[in-house]
Amino acid sequence: MALVSIALVVAAATTAIAYFVDWLPEQASEERRGMDLVFWVTVGICIFVFSIVASVSIYSGIKFRVRPDDDSDGPPIHGHTGIEILWTAVPTTLVTIIAVLSAIVLAQNDRTKGDVLRVDVRAQQFAWEFSYPAQGNIKSAFLYLPVGRSTKLYMRSEHIDKTPDVIHSFWVPEFGQKQDVVPGEVTTLVITPTRVGEYRVICMELCGLGHALMRSRAIVLSEQDFAAWVRKQRQAAGGPPGEQGKTLFTSNGCNSCHTLTAAGATGKVGPNLDKLDEESIPGGKSLDEYVRESIQNPSAYRRPGYSAQMPRFNLSKDQVDALVTFIVESAKKN
Amino acid sequence: MSTTETTQAQVHVEHGAAPPPRHWALRGGLARAVWMTPLFFLIGMGIVVGLRALAGWHPYLDWEVVIVVGGLTVAPIGFLAGVGTFDYWTRYALGFPTRPEDHSSHGAYSWKDYFRVNTDHKVIGIQYVTTTIFFFLAGGLMAMLVRAELARPETDFYDTQTYNQLFSVHASLMIFLFVIPAFAGLANFVVPLMLGAPDMAFPRLNALSYWLLPIAGTMMLVSFFFPGFGAGWTNYAPLSVAQPFGNVFFSMAVQWAGASSIMTALNFLVTIITMRAPGMTFWRMPLLVWANFTTSLLVVIATPFIAGSQFFVMFDKVMHTNFFNVTEHGYVLGYQHIFWFYSHPAVYIMMLPGFGIASEVISTFSRKPIFGYRLMALSLMAILVLGFSVWAHHMFVSGMAPYLRVPMMVTTLLIAVPTGIKVFSWLATLWEGRIHFGAPMLWALGFVSMFVIGGLSGIMLGAVPIDIHVSDTYFIVAHIHYVLLGGSLFTIFAGIYYWFPKMTGRMYNEPLAKLHFWLTLVAFNATFFPMHIIGVQGMPRRVATYEDRFGDWNLFISISSFVLGASFMIFVYNMIVSWRSGPPAPANPWRGMTIEWLVSSPPPVFNFDAVPQVVGNPYEYGVPGARHAILNGDRAAVTELEPVR
Repeated sequence: MALVSIALVVAAATTAIAYFVDWLPEQASEERRGMDLVFWVTVGICIFVFSIVASVSIYSGIKFRVRPDDDSDGPPIHGHTGIEILWTAVPTTLVTIIAVLSAIVLAQNDRTKGDVLRVDVRAQQFAWEFSYPAQGNIKSAFLYLPVGRSTKLYMRSEHIDKTPDVIHSFWVPEFGQKQDVVPGEVTTLVITPTRVGEYRVICMELCGLGHALMRSRAIVLSEQDFAAWVRKQRQAAGGPPGEQGKTLFTSNGCNSCHTLTAAGATGKVGPNLDKLDEESIPGGKSLDEYVRESIQNPSAYRRPGYSAQMPRFNLSKDQVDALVTFIVESAKKN
Repeated sequence: MSTTETTQAQVHVEHGAAPPPRHWALRGGLARAVWMTPLFFLIGMGIVVGLRALAGWHPYLDWEVVIVVGGLTVAPIGFLAGVGTFDYWTRYALGFPTRPEDHSSHGAYSWKDYFRVNTDHKVIGIQYVTTTIFFFLAGGLMAMLVRAELARPETDFYDTQTYNQLFSVHASLMIFLFVIPAFAGLANFVVPLMLGAPDMAFPRLNALSYWLLPIAGTMMLVSFFFPGFGAGWTNYAPLSVAQPFGNVFFSMAVQWAGASSIMTALNFLVTIITMRAPGMTFWRMPLLVWANFTTSLLVVIATPFIAGSQFFVMFDKVMHTNFFNVTEHGYVLGYQHIFWFYSHPAVYIMMLPGFGIASEVISTFSRKPIFGYRLMALSLMAILVLGFSVWAHHMFVSGMAPYLRVPMMVTTLLIAVPTGIKVFSWLATLWEGRIHFGAPMLWALGFVSMFVIGGLSGIMLGAVPIDIHVSDTYFIVAHIHYVLLGGSLFTIFAGIYYWFPKMTGRMYNEPLAKLHFWLTLVAFNATFFPMHIIGVQGMPRRVATYEDRFGDWNLFISISSFVLGASFMIFVYNMIVSWRSGPPAPANPWRGMTIEWLVSSPPPVFNFDAVPQVVGNPYEYGVPGARHAILNGDRAAVTELEPVR
């Protein structure tokens, strides 16, 4: 009786921890719905097992404790076949339940439904680039998705010039889907967003010094807003240089390593571009030349305190012009 | 003195002439190592420079190659030769007279004997345990430095490379230089005694395996001064290949530590199979022996795989091979498959000896036979077999072939069944026992409860959809610390406190040991339980900066971790003071039945005057008149036997 009461108290306490602590982040995809189901079923089974173990330990510790000078021995019980079969069979049943449920959810989460939106993901140290082949191959530093439509990500770890990078891992906690991005392979991931909003894209595989800052955003829009966004992006490709430079700055991931207020960038891996000024430039070059050369040949100049790890970017001359204009003008405003 | 004793003693009379005394700098020992290590480094350097000059490769003096060949490969051999691990074999190979029954390097008569090559399994056991505790404190200090950085969300103290090296070296030291060899050390001391054997099967090999450890540990510590081991202890390619040069220190340290593990495991296997006392059938072996038998099988089968994986990384780095270079048809996921084919069984290498210790302690302190002895032994074998079929559960999100996920999930979840059997059997052993809460028992019960939490979070991770959500988050960090700290470390402490009287001949301070336990238990849970929460919520591991919303939890975790670190100072103080001046220990302070308790504390140099006769099962508490073994004919309970010094 006492044993059962202890077990119930433990079960109540652990259930309270499971219930009142804010465990899972907001649910924003169909795949997360399946994950959450497996999560809570497994948590329930864990609470059941833990309550048994904890209550038997606590009860035995109190009930069977003896004084240090008690030299007697316990009853010589060597085992009990029935009980041993029971505690082999019950856990086997419980893990079978978890395995079957998990396998079903896994199969569902790999499946796409209806009209699938394809997004190509390119990961490199330390930036994400998302492109939309069916939408005129527009590129974006943020992942824009329409709500309620299956999206399949095709992910590669490579630089713009197709040279391989290291392993990264794509995760949006609210989507509950994670997949490593592996050099030499194309990995895929299915996401069906269920909620409009803005979520974090996090790189989950240690990928070098800027790993902690390799972040982006997943922005889920309504179908109409998504269509509008696509339209705007296709026009922006030929927009004014300042606007184009700003887009290039984020779409190439400059923002993940450099700070530049005008682009809303707060990266700390590389030098702060807000603090660019003419005096600090060696060899009497103009700011414009200095920035251009630094983009085209990242190891041309080394700032003290920073290691040479900026990759080369495969940009057209027009794109470099737009980027240089944007960076120099933004820096001069500070 | 009975006749058997005399015969036994005669065996150990030294044969042959003693070699002429040599100058102290030429005798095997640390003094000779001091000059032989640099000498061998120069030899290695000469080989590199010579070969490069012959081949006409510029520069002739390439320091990176010199460090790999001279510093990390040849100089350690010089160190081993210097301390004298090869002396006997060298003399034998060169045709000099050898003395097969030379026991001059057996036993420890002063503290200096712990700093030379010793072939006594009891001395080696103590050498192992003290060395591993040194590296445990070093690794723990790094954990404190990591937590200091993580106390606040922004970067506070170190540059990112230093931070990455801190957590990488922390994990490597704890795994390769603490948990694995600490268990090997305890088993080294205890297993031959439990078997009724005078020593391990290969005492000189045993000494060699110990002396490989300081080499491996030094390499991992020194890697700080050669930046590059900052890719996590998993050292995933291609990031590890792209790391600065110092990454080779990890690659080579793993080779030395791995060689040590393999040699020890072979030694245990041969000892357990061939050196059991008369009457010691497999079904009469204590569960600690069973545990080390299965662990040793895991070690000899699995360890070559991590050696291979790290060689591949080093070859890609130094020799510009293309194992993991995609542009030259390398296969990135191949690294992970090979790595985890070792590193998952390694989890059981770090767990099964602890299961053995827990079985010994729980049975003795509950004064009851272990419940379901045979199923306990069989479940160890089941874990051994299943343990080789689950490695890819570390790779559910890695991009490996998707069809591998479900079978790997099934085997992973099934391994919970034999593990569950062990937990339930320990609980059933407690049931109706006469429980004494000595310090070893507290640690053993602490282990059971903490390990259950780690095991249950392991089941969650086994379910693929949950794993996809939480892999590489702090949930993983919480899980492995519940398993390796709440599991392995707690049993290591249980074992150290349990056999401390046997090892040193002195009792430790019981109140301090209990204070150590309670402080560690509370601080441990305060440190690691909240990591489950922030992990599920989305905090990635291996980062120095994180989102502000995790700031409060992390500050709490960091403060708790400092308390956790401080709790080990109590342990160190207790061990040092008790070893120097604790009260003398009786032969059998816990009223245990296994053979090590039948000899004095500390045991005689050759363990037994006469070969023990095993007559029953090892845990016959409460069975009237039952005995596990008889020593010296009819003088069975000669607990007051004098050491043969």
